[in-house]
Amino acid sequence: MASTTLFRCRRIITMDPNRPEATHVAVREGRILAVGDADCVWPDQEVVQDDRLADTVLMPGFVEGHAHMMAGAMWRYAYVGYHDRIDPEGVLHRGMTDIADVIERLRGHEAGLPEGQPLVAWGFDPIFIEGDRLGRAHLDRISATRPIVVLFSNFHLMCANSAALALAGYDRHSNIEGVVKGLDGAPTGELQEMAAMFPVMRRTGIDFRALTQRPDVIETYAQVCRRAGVTTATDLFAEMEEADVDTLLRVTGQPGLGLRLVPALGAAGGDPERIAERALALRARSTDRLRLGAVKLMTDGSIQGWTARVKWPGYVGGQPNGLWNTPPDQIFALCAAMQRHGVQMHIHVNGDEASDVSLAALEAAARAHPWPGARHVLQHCQMMGADQFRRCARLGVCANIFANHIWYFGDQHAALTIGEDRAMRMNAARSALDEGVRIAIHSDAPVTPMGPLFTAWCAMNRTTMSGRVLGAAQRITVGEALYAITLGAAYTLGLDGEIGSIETGKIADFAILGEDPTRVAPEAIRDVPVLGTVSGGEVHLL
Amino acid sequence: MTRLPLSVVGGYLGAGKTTLINRLLSEDHGLRLMVLVNDFGAINIDAALLASTDEDTIALTNGCVCCTMGADLFMAVGDVLDRAPRPDHLIIEASGIADPAAIANVARAEPELSYAGIVTVVDAGQIGGLLDDAQIAPQIRQQIGVADLVVLTKTDDVPGEVAALLAPLHPRAPVLLGGDRVTPLLLDVVPMGQRVTPSGHPAYTGWHCACPQMRDRAALQDKLERRPGGIWRIKGLVQTGEGMIEVQVVGANCELRAVAGGQAPGLVALGLADRVTRAEIEGWWSGT
Repeated sequence: MASTTLFRCRRIITMDPNRPEATHVAVREGRILAVGDADCVWPDQEVVQDDRLADTVLMPGFVEGHAHMMAGAMWRYAYVGYHDRIDPEGVLHRGMTDIADVIERLRGHEAGLPEGQPLVAWGFDPIFIEGDRLGRAHLDRISATRPIVVLFSNFHLMCANSAALALAGYDRHSNIEGVVKGLDGAPTGELQEMAAMFPVMRRTGIDFRALTQRPDVIETYAQVCRRAGVTTATDLFAEMEEADVDTLLRVTGQPGLGLRLVPALGAAGGDPERIAERALALRARSTDRLRLGAVKLMTDGSIQGWTARVKWPGYVGGQPNGLWNTPPDQIFALCAAMQRHGVQMHIHVNGDEASDVSLAALEAAARAHPWPGARHVLQHCQMMGADQFRRCARLGVCANIFANHIWYFGDQHAALTIGEDRAMRMNAARSALDEGVRIAIHSDAPVTPMGPLFTAWCAMNRTTMSGRVLGAAQRITVGEALYAITLGAAYTLGLDGEIGSIETGKIADFAILGEDPTRVAPEAIRDVPVLGTVSGGEVHLL
Repeated sequence: MTRLPLSVVGGYLGAGKTTLINRLLSEDHGLRLMVLVNDFGAINIDAALLASTDEDTIALTNGCVCCTMGADLFMAVGDVLDRAPRPDHLIIEASGIADPAAIANVARAEPELSYAGIVTVVDAGQIGGLLDDAQIAPQIRQQIGVADLVVLTKTDDVPGEVAALLAPLHPRAPVLLGGDRVTPLLLDVVPMGQRVTPSGHPAYTGWHCACPQMRDRAALQDKLERRPGGIWRIKGLVQTGEGMIEVQVVGANCELRAVAGGQAPGLVALGLADRVTRAEIEGWWSGT
């Protein structure tokens, strides 16, 4: 007979209203056999007591409903972002608040590199940096011979030093859109958009495809998740060629990974019917550790990049409305085809016009091909108001809300993108819940760092980086926030019957915490230590 | 190494991009084309021309290859550049809402590519509705505005109302995808410094100058900027006081670059016969 392990804990927050708290959980074959006190297991069972977690607080393993696998692989490059970040090994990287800091940090990285190897950095965001624009001259101070490239956090821009520009043949004679030139007629080093970035990337060995779906990338992603207490994570826009799927199956199938992975097939361009067929073929290959079959639709861009599709009155700076990545009638065609074939969709919507069009497409699809349990998910939902959430509720459409934006970009949204009044109602988790919508909240890692407790803190407090509260009326309670990062997110993935709470019969996925998030002050929940995870009964302490 | 010419085919969903690409793949132009498309759905190649197919690639007996580009277009372009042997010409089908200039710009940026034009395909019956749709009209106007050549499909002539819609968006009148007027233009079948290949073809005007000379680069630039609007393509080498300059004109795009001497100069030009005459070209070049 399989052995049963009985974990004793300081406290277990189950997220099961029938027994909200417990002290013991028994695990057999990776599943929860019983929850309760020391006597929760039936008397005739053989039990091995495990006291490693005796001083910890257990919660259901957190579920990250919107992140990307490259969140781990980016760390092969030097981090030069404004915010503090913790790498997959647990090392804290202090944020860099001015260009001198960035240069200083890169000097350190440069010294450790073998000769000839380009220095690549990531995470730089000029929106937070006052004074000079980062340029070639700054980077030339680090090295005149080694190619140096700094990728901006939005991946639409980069800055290269003179050695890297020379690789691509960029000089004062270049007349190329996206190769920015200064008053002196020479390139400043800033390169805008992929066409101008590509020749430098190609010659410095930067290939975004190598940052996803490779064995070491999956393992690093699992490390990132473990540090955040996450036991199930999405990869929301995956290419998934045949060889990629084989790799995903092999690596997620290995013991010790500690992660349940939910990739969504990217549905950009191409025939909706064929995409639906591919999604269904992928679904048939799902395992416990690799859940396939959903698709991801793109619609608009980002608000802070002024590329989100925003309803009237648009951007406060008078910028033109954003860009469709998928035109509205293609959104309708994709929604119709996926709904007809029974394929679940995650739909990227940042601006309120994008969410409006997507809801209209979902309404049309629901009328044409009724499917009450579809559980499609609008992702980001940053400008949705009560009216759009009511439409979600009526359709059974979930909302995965980008709560982290409040802290990271809230001040910029109020000042620069959509203005104070609309920024106050951004990422309106309160409205969504009040209208009866099933919600999750997310990080979109690597856009912001993965950390469901931090995301919960954002949704509960709505504090921005400047320390102000942006839209107190949209705050949610600790119970609602913890639900959103466990059962709520599990629901958006169709996994709420298997994970998301600690109750008998479910998979033994837990987050191991140093304190009880329900008993700390709301402002302190982001500081609750994550000590590791239990994944399918397997303990992974940090 | 020879630079790989890159053309981009843009245009809204259903405009006829795939029809054009089908023709480019299967016509007898003698070039080994590499075509990157979003999706094979509508690619329709005569079975007699198929050499092999798999999930992501169709290889033709004429040496052409059609591939799906995957999620990262630019990485796919890198793969094409790394192929040995390289194809003769790369054609990218932009997705229905994409800005073709954002793709074609890579041909100016990447030293191993050369710019061979943006062709935006417009459905004569669809365009009025698209330009009336406030949600997408700005992106549709952009696709037309950046084109070197606008190709009108699903019509036998250019309806007056369509011409009126397009006139403010693009300085050159659209051409029709009928007959054989379009694909030779796109494929640049005029080898450097040689005679115009579609010679004697009534649809085209060809012009050739054996040893073009100009005072300097600025004078050459100035001359090219005043070229007759009906010329689609000019290419070749011009001797100047500052050394040999390579000229590449495609539609609205004009590119000059200094090259090593030692090659024979020569310049060719090509346009549609109903847009420009040989006398006009000759008059422009030899005039002041």
